[in-house]
Amino acid sequence: MGGPSGTCVPWREFERRIAFEDVPSAGAFMVFSRGRDMFEVARNFAHFFAHESCGFCTPCRVGTSLLANTMDKLAAGKGSAYDMQRMQTLMRVLLSMSHCGLGHTAAKPVVQTMAAFPDAYERRLKRLDFEPAFDLDAALATARHITGRDDDWAHIVSEEA
Amino acid sequence: MSGRTFTLDGQPVPFTEGETVMEAALAAGVYIPHLCYRPGYGHHGSCKVCTVAIDGHNAASCTTRAREGMAVETATPELADMRRALVEMLFVEGNHTCPACEKSGECELQAVAYHIGMAAPRFDFFFPARDLDASHPDVILDRNRCILCELCVRASRDVDGKNVFAIGGRGIRARLIVNAASGRLGDTDLAKDDAAVRVCPVGAILRKGDAYTKPVGQRTFDLRPIAAVAIEEARRERERRRG
Ligand code: SF4
Ligand code: SF4
Ligand code: FES
Repeated sequence: MGGPSGTCVPWREFERRIAFEDVPSAGAFMVFSRGRDMFEVARNFAHFFAHESCGFCTPCRVGTSLLANTMDKLAAGKGSAYDMQRMQTLMRVLLSMSHCGLGHTAAKPVVQTMAAFPDAYERRLKRLDFEPAFDLDAALATARHITGRDDDWAHIVSEEA
Repeated sequence: MSGRTFTLDGQPVPFTEGETVMEAALAAGVYIPHLCYRPGYGHHGSCKVCTVAIDGHNAASCTTRAREGMAVETATPELADMRRALVEMLFVEGNHTCPACEKSGECELQAVAYHIGMAAPRFDFFFPARDLDASHPDVILDRNRCILCELCVRASRDVDGKNVFAIGGRGIRARLIVNAASGRLGDTDLAKDDAAVRVCPVGAILRKGDAYTKPVGQRTFDLRPIAAVAIEEARRERERRRG
């Protein structure tokens, strides 16, 4: 809702309202069918922000490119649990240290898709020997904090027996 | 004028109207790590290393005016971690091989990294291809070590009155460029004693012939930590301005 820096509303939350109080919008929205890979959508947006960064401040100039590169690394099947942690750090740096709104919101597509579609990310990590010690739910604590969410959908329950 | 204060990590800091948080802190003998700020070279605010929390909201202390009663925090673990991340970003963005660099020991990026306890960067190195310009008889420009702080841009324009440098390109491709038709430093009127040459906080603009004249162990930050050097520098600039 509202472009790449807007709010990502997964199908489970379709009862939400487009309103200032809930999901605000500047008038634009994009719809992605369930057939879409939301990881690829986020990766595309990450590149969009890296391209749009003016380069004035350190966090956005370097952070948006690091984020896009890390998404590429995951896409290439070379991602690890460490990369997921690093993306969390990048999100915090972008959100809290950037000069303007572009940097502040540049990590939003990744934060929100990580929270709403964790399997899209997990699937990529699983192709590697991925550390069973890695706790994806704990790693998403920052994302929950940033998005102000703590509902069921913001948590990941491991389905592996 | 007198009696105005804000708090910095709980301690009262006096300020005069119009001063930034950074200026007031340095005047009070409190060091806030910074890279693109230098007393006497205006207010820029691009490196973000000096970011503090003001009444719970993050802002660059070098570009934010002090206000009566504001509560400023610098020493929180979160800010310390973010500051380290920023300095790590500056290291991975360029090509810095400190042990082989002439500026080692005189370099503010290196000194700030030590001050904030940075170990190895947690991010992947970019290893960018960047140009070196040795066309000037007295000055060398090695973009591999440039952190895009724009101090040389400001110094050349505002102090030297020459406008030799600028930033070209956007995002991660931003580079320091030279205002000459050829783009080469040798084709500008830059002189080796210009403020623009002296002001570079890292080893990107160096005077030829000066390298290695000061032995390791006797360089600026070998002798004193950057906090003491910065506080002293700010005091000198205040005295200079008072005349
Ligand atoms: S410019 Fe500074 S940080 Fe970069 S290599 Fe030289 S000493 Fe190290
Ligand atoms: S050359 Fe030096 S002073 Fe100029 S922008 Fe680069 S790091 Fe800053
Ligand atoms: S010193 Fe304040 S932003 Fe660089």
